[in-house]
Amino acid sequence: MTAVTVRSKRSIAAARRRDRAVEVWREFARNRGGLVGLAILLVVILLAICAPLIAPATLLDVTKVDGLPNQAPTWQYPLGTDPAGRSVLLLLLWGSRISLLVGFSATIVSMVIGTLVGMSAGHFRGVGQAIILRVIDFFLVVPSLVLAIVLSTVLSRGAITIIIAIGLTSWAGTARLVRSQTLTIESRPYIERSWALGAGNAHILGKHVLPAVLPLVLAHTTLTVGSAIIAESTLSFLGLGDPTTVSWGTMLKSALDTGAATAGFWWYVLPPGIAIVLVVLCFTLVGRAFEAVINPTLRGR
Amino acid sequence: MPRLVFDDVRISYTTRDDAAGRGLVTAVDGVSLVLEPGSTLGLAGESGCGKSTLALSVLRLLPANATVTGQILLGDDDVTTMSFGRLRAVRWTEAAVVFQGAMHSLNPVQKVSDQIEEALKLHSLASYPDRAARLKRVRELLTLVDLPVVKASSYPHELSGGQKQRIMIAMALACDPELIIADEPTTALDVIVQAQVLDVLTGLVRDRGLSLIMISHDLSVLAATCERICVMQAGRIVEEGPSLRVMTAPEHPHTRALAAAFPLIGDPASRRSLPGYTAPDAPTAAPSETVTEPGDVVLEVRDLSVEFASRGQRVKAVDHVNLAFRQGEIVALVGQSGSGKTTLARTILGLEEPTSGAVLYEGAPLSHRRKALKEYRRHVQFVLQDPTASLNPKHTVYEAVAEGPRLHKLPGNERDIVATALEQAELTPPEKYFNAIPQELSGGQRQRVVIAGALALSPTFLVADEPVASLDASVRGEILALLLRLKNELGLGALVITHDLGLAWNIADRVVVMKQGEIVEQGSVEEVLLNPQHEYTRKLLSVVPSAQAASGQDFVGA
Repeated sequence: MTAVTVRSKRSIAAARRRDRAVEVWREFARNRGGLVGLAILLVVILLAICAPLIAPATLLDVTKVDGLPNQAPTWQYPLGTDPAGRSVLLLLLWGSRISLLVGFSATIVSMVIGTLVGMSAGHFRGVGQAIILRVIDFFLVVPSLVLAIVLSTVLSRGAITIIIAIGLTSWAGTARLVRSQTLTIESRPYIERSWALGAGNAHILGKHVLPAVLPLVLAHTTLTVGSAIIAESTLSFLGLGDPTTVSWGTMLKSALDTGAATAGFWWYVLPPGIAIVLVVLCFTLVGRAFEAVINPTLRGR
Repeated sequence: MPRLVFDDVRISYTTRDDAAGRGLVTAVDGVSLVLEPGSTLGLAGESGCGKSTLALSVLRLLPANATVTGQILLGDDDVTTMSFGRLRAVRWTEAAVVFQGAMHSLNPVQKVSDQIEEALKLHSLASYPDRAARLKRVRELLTLVDLPVVKASSYPHELSGGQKQRIMIAMALACDPELIIADEPTTALDVIVQAQVLDVLTGLVRDRGLSLIMISHDLSVLAATCERICVMQAGRIVEEGPSLRVMTAPEHPHTRALAAAFPLIGDPASRRSLPGYTAPDAPTAAPSETVTEPGDVVLEVRDLSVEFASRGQRVKAVDHVNLAFRQGEIVALVGQSGSGKTTLARTILGLEEPTSGAVLYEGAPLSHRRKALKEYRRHVQFVLQDPTASLNPKHTVYEAVAEGPRLHKLPGNERDIVATALEQAELTPPEKYFNAIPQELSGGQRQRVVIAGALALSPTFLVADEPVASLDASVRGEILALLLRLKNELGLGALVITHDLGLAWNIADRVVVMKQGEIVEQGSVEEVLLNPQHEYTRKLLSVVPSAQAASGQDFVGA
């Protein structure tokens, strides 16, 4: 094959992808809720990335802070201080880093496992399929919170453990979704044509099935990020996270532990809770908007 | 007073058009028609010519984005200005519709008797006040459409296609309408069932004095049932006249094209000859020196049986079949749906494993090991029935055609291979199509892409499963001409599966007739079609709607 052929083919594909991206964006932009969600998310992500620039980590060092404990909001501390005298606003900012990191990473783990297992469960027949399906069923019925708690106690403490725990417990739903889509795609005559052309399993899965299930998986991803963030907060709240790093979940836990919730220090309890709700809501809005782009029958409903 | 009058009817659809705001598509463009009580009218035309839109407008069943202007008089009511209550009363009691695709128009979770009863409950509660009376009426209706009364308690999936279509007709008749609109009532049915359904319809028109509007793309079907035929093109009526005249002496070029697409079996003008291409060995062609003789046997089927397990029973789809296919020979495999044609083709392609017997390629039995199968598939290729479904909607034409060469890592420049294959499939210039995706192409072009995808592997044999069944009449001729040309110019052998005997007459060298998994007759096209030996072949031939049948019927009617 000559270089010319390769380039022209790539450029054809690139041009098509560009057109498609513009089209997806235009459809997405029709959904105002999705746009608002996306805007807020971008701001939150930007703030999380820039946290070290906005406020150096030393400001959260308990030995170096000079604020009084449990101070109500003032101009100096817009959201008050925590029992150690640190600014709640800064905690919130730094906490978003762990919450988002865990949310995204756990989702990626869950999506990769879910897509691979789901595609194999839809593609293969017979004994292999039966075994894969039972494994999926096992993970569907096992209470995922309990499994995640067990996993994070067995493994060493830290963000990675939480990512693995969430990722390993939340893929089963995705796998089911991907499997049903795989079955739909594989019943199309173009798969038959591909077999007749001499295709093998890898070709069918990689060239025909994967591109067809990916949009669905991506739309599902944004919805999963939200639940992964909630799961991270839950696990941290239960004290299974790394106590030395700040996340929205650990903030809630320390608010409970130090009696902030019962003593009326609302400025320490509400912000992490509201932050979680807001980010999850934004992910849901974006996810719904993407779903509508992929599935045109949902538009206008 | 006429039963139905269309007076300068125009129907347009408002569609969402991203580039230019709101687009207006005119489906019906100034149609005027009169239908007298007790008369029958056929609407012919290709897909997208507005025939279904026109018919559905009679009951105002069009989607909300349709705008109707002009007058549609049903009896003496104008349908376009009728109140919704009046419209509901008129629907089904004065005019009823037999929808296209009976398989999808019946509710799969209700017994058919309940579904027929539903129409009675909604519209004729006065005449059939209790359930017993309604069930009695359901039994009457089933007898009317030649179905055994016990079928009333079946679910749709327990009935065959023809039976379902007759249930649809029974539903349409439930409230004694005076007008029946049949929208492609036989399109998805095979010839024998089609003949039965048409018989039921003509019988009803004759005995009950119904008026009938029948829509079809097949002129011969209309000629067999209707007194008059209207030919539509792009929303306009281009020709109207008595069936026999339209069929035998069409005036408008579009009608001529439609009529020519369905050949008369036995007519030498259509033997190995299609509009646009005549084979060198056609009876009408000038005598030439280069007539390709069928070569050696490339593919052989020896004592092949395929069985399926169905609800604990073994069902024999293919039953001890012996066949041989030569190079450069087109063999037509004909039979009704359910006769095992497709299973045989899939087994030949190695997509299905035989229960016993063997498929031999160049003398060697076909192994089901992956590597051997892949090598075999370089030589024997597949063309499927529905070109729209057999192309991945996300792949460009280039990718679809290059798929085979990539899988087999064919030597040479991929771009050249693709371009040559597209040229062979008569998509020229090929560069123009590289970047297109299937939805931008017409049905015929899509089927050419599928054929090009097969040709890209330079196969020696092609298996085509109903290659033109889902295409329009004029495109049908083009694709068949392409297959014939490939045979003559590339020496490509082909097995064409069809229920259309006219197709066999058009292009095939040999015909194999299959019934319930067994081969009942085979031989050269002339032998089998002009002098059939087996009674099943005679039956298949007798129900092919043809101009002779139409003229015979007219003669009896007069």
